[in-house]
Amino acid sequence: MTTKQEYLIRYKDGNLYCELADIWIDPSKPVKKALITHAHFDHFTFGCEEYISTKETAVLLKERVGDNIKIKTFEYGEEFKINGINISFHPSGHILGSSQIRFIFAEEKWLISGDFKLQKDQTCKQYEIVKTDYLISECTFGLPIFKWDESNKIANDISKWITNSPEKTSLLFCYSLGKAQRLLNEISRTNFEGNIYSHGSIHKMNNTYRELGIDIKDTIKIENKKKIEELKGSLILLPPSLSKGSYLKNFKNIQTAFASGWMSIRALRKRSGYDKGFAISDHADWDGILEVVKKSEAKNVFFHHGDSEALSKYLVEKESINVLLFRK
Amino acid sequence: MSLKKFSELFGDLDSINSTNNKIEVLKNYFLSNDPIDNSWAIYLLTGKSNKRFISGRYLKNLFSQIYEYPQWLIDTCYLKVGDSAEVITLLLKNKTTSTNKKLSNISLNKLLSETIPALSKLNEEEKNLEIKNLWEKLPEDNHLIFNKILTGTFRVGVSIGLITKSISKLINIDEEIISHRLMGDFKPSIDSYEFLINKNINLQELNSKPFPFLLANTFEDKIFQNSINDFQFEWKYDGIRMQLIKRSGNVSLWTRGQELVNESFPELVEKMSHIKDDFVLDGELLVWDFKEQIAFDFSLLQKRINRKSPTRSIQIKYPIIFIAYDLLEINGRDIREIKLENRRIDLEKYFSKWQNKTENNIYDIFKICDLIYPRDWPDVLAHKEKSRENNTEGLIIKKKTSIYSSGRKKGIWWKYKVDPMQLDAVLIYAKGGSGRRAGLYTDYSFALWKGQELIKFASAYSGLTNIEIKELDGWIRKNTIEKFGPVRSLKPEMVFEISFEKIQISKRHKSGIAVRFPRITKWRKDKKINDADSLENAYELMKKIS
Repeated sequence: MTTKQEYLIRYKDGNLYCELADIWIDPSKPVKKALITHAHFDHFTFGCEEYISTKETAVLLKERVGDNIKIKTFEYGEEFKINGINISFHPSGHILGSSQIRFIFAEEKWLISGDFKLQKDQTCKQYEIVKTDYLISECTFGLPIFKWDESNKIANDISKWITNSPEKTSLLFCYSLGKAQRLLNEISRTNFEGNIYSHGSIHKMNNTYRELGIDIKDTIKIENKKKIEELKGSLILLPPSLSKGSYLKNFKNIQTAFASGWMSIRALRKRSGYDKGFAISDHADWDGILEVVKKSEAKNVFFHHGDSEALSKYLVEKESINVLLFRK
Repeated sequence: MSLKKFSELFGDLDSINSTNNKIEVLKNYFLSNDPIDNSWAIYLLTGKSNKRFISGRYLKNLFSQIYEYPQWLIDTCYLKVGDSAEVITLLLKNKTTSTNKKLSNISLNKLLSETIPALSKLNEEEKNLEIKNLWEKLPEDNHLIFNKILTGTFRVGVSIGLITKSISKLINIDEEIISHRLMGDFKPSIDSYEFLINKNINLQELNSKPFPFLLANTFEDKIFQNSINDFQFEWKYDGIRMQLIKRSGNVSLWTRGQELVNESFPELVEKMSHIKDDFVLDGELLVWDFKEQIAFDFSLLQKRINRKSPTRSIQIKYPIIFIAYDLLEINGRDIREIKLENRRIDLEKYFSKWQNKTENNIYDIFKICDLIYPRDWPDVLAHKEKSRENNTEGLIIKKKTSIYSSGRKKGIWWKYKVDPMQLDAVLIYAKGGSGRRAGLYTDYSFALWKGQELIKFASAYSGLTNIEIKELDGWIRKNTIEKFGPVRSLKPEMVFEISFEKIQISKRHKSGIAVRFPRITKWRKDKKINDADSLENAYELMKKIS
């Protein structure tokens, strides 16, 4: 029987915390020192005294929230020490700058996967297999019904979806950081030749990606007073928060779609209210999670972010991997 | 010309919201596929293919066996997806390694008329092997349709009206004709498709089929502005809506669900066949209390519906009656275009003629509906309130000058249902939904107070908006006391207004009462659980009604 004090990293107030280094990982409330795995807002909160992240994550964060935060940055693979603990960032393949974080203390290795995917994505570094003793992994899509198609197939489906309705304006909703840029990159390699517009929030991230050396197709920033005729047959990328409410009244004769891993399930697709769903995700699918768990050679695994009951039971029964539960 | 094309059609229909686009897609599908596959497509799309070759459970077991997946894992996935055929389809992804997709061009006809029916002739082992084999040979994007057909769960958001419209557009013939042709037994064949798209309208062929039913709309207050003399008033019976047809000596009973139900009600068929005239009557089938001259509860009718060739004792135990409220055709003459008030005169005239012939012997199985003559609109309301006493659901109001058209035509017929009974109850259990509601807690159980205890009295799953469902789902996950499989017991905190149609004593339920059609009509966030009703309130309500 282990007590929670024995673990190097544990759950405290709903967040991952390393007591020995007095450092938090993606905390949801202001703390002294925060390691940030990536620049999505559900992994970031204002008011921490100091942030530590990769260089790209820092640039993206500052672009989103302003320069008024103190961020220390490290390269992927570069080790730094806090209270005798060796810490390093490793690519997690989720979005540009996203990372796994490894802790080494007294020859015991801990790995926090952060949000990750194994699929190819030309807008960020490929997931790196990191060996560890303890793995703390996300499991957003921890059921075997989730299996992603190749992203070029999805991009072709999107292209077909637009060109099959030349009379319509096609609105594709997607997260403005990461997903949007990945889609743009993929779509630019299909034979879609129409105009692509993007919402201000997406447009801004496109520019930042480009400044960081990523190949992102140029898009037109969408203005409210665009002529309807002009938009016919073109693609507009919008953040999901605009799918409900009056914003859509700016357009006429539209078809809508949502790009998200959840769209692989028909019931969720129907309930989402979008005309169409494209199942593309920046999280790992079932096979992806299993692969990471196995290749990391972790003896002990924790899951957070998502319903991990089935995945845990499966690993214990089928793979004899020790899955532990966080004490909250 | 293939399952592949049909799978694409399914995908298109599933992701198009506009009716016009759906019609266009269907029209193009019919144009580019051969008649036999088109007839199967219509058969599937109109939901006539509910034959279940194997159960969802069987499919899940089979998958678990072949691919060595634990059963509990498949069950967990099912909770998220809500459809066995889809779960297996998703799990099958990347599993069928064969690159030799021999069946990538199998026609819908071959699949449905040979391949799948042939499964029933195999023993279990052969059948399992053959299904695995078919999974291997069919391209992945055809698996969903295949699994759905196997489990008899093929459904898509296309109404029969939409199919009617697209065929009507395809051949430029009135929708009424197409909808008439689509009524009843549609057997997939080249002939049935050619018949459907035949540009020559052949009355003889249409002979045994019912007319499209005219349906009532919900009552609107603006009707009060009209003179009461413009309308005919009838009781709204709670039975099976039916057209009773006798043409060239043959009697057919057609339900609104387009089922021919002669076999379930042979005594009605037998007696009506003695009448000399030919006719089409529109009316309601009920189990009738001949002593009180009112309908028995719908639950008794259910004892008759699915029973084919009922024994004499069943016929006596659950005596049926057909109450006609309209005459649509008489001796080959279609009179649907005649005004309702004149059709009523004909109906009464023929009814008394038939009744007076003793050899007909129809007095105990057939009558025409009584009309109600309210003095004014307040009197209409008074009648409506009385409808529970004679076991009806309220009133049907019909415009006297209306002709019998088809569908839910506006401004002709209205149903004016009696207000429901209501109790405020506490949410105590929730269960995961299926189908569209998969992955959310959408099936709820509600309780009333008995002293200090909350006793379950009803389950309901309809009535909340999608936004409310999501909100409640979040609350449920945070306020679970215990999980039993898919069911969660909840902290008693939320009060809902539950409406229902009927309340009666029931020994089967712990609460001692049973309610009919319970549904949620309001989320009473303003109420605390102590404000909820007690079982005593429910008993009082029951007393007040009877």
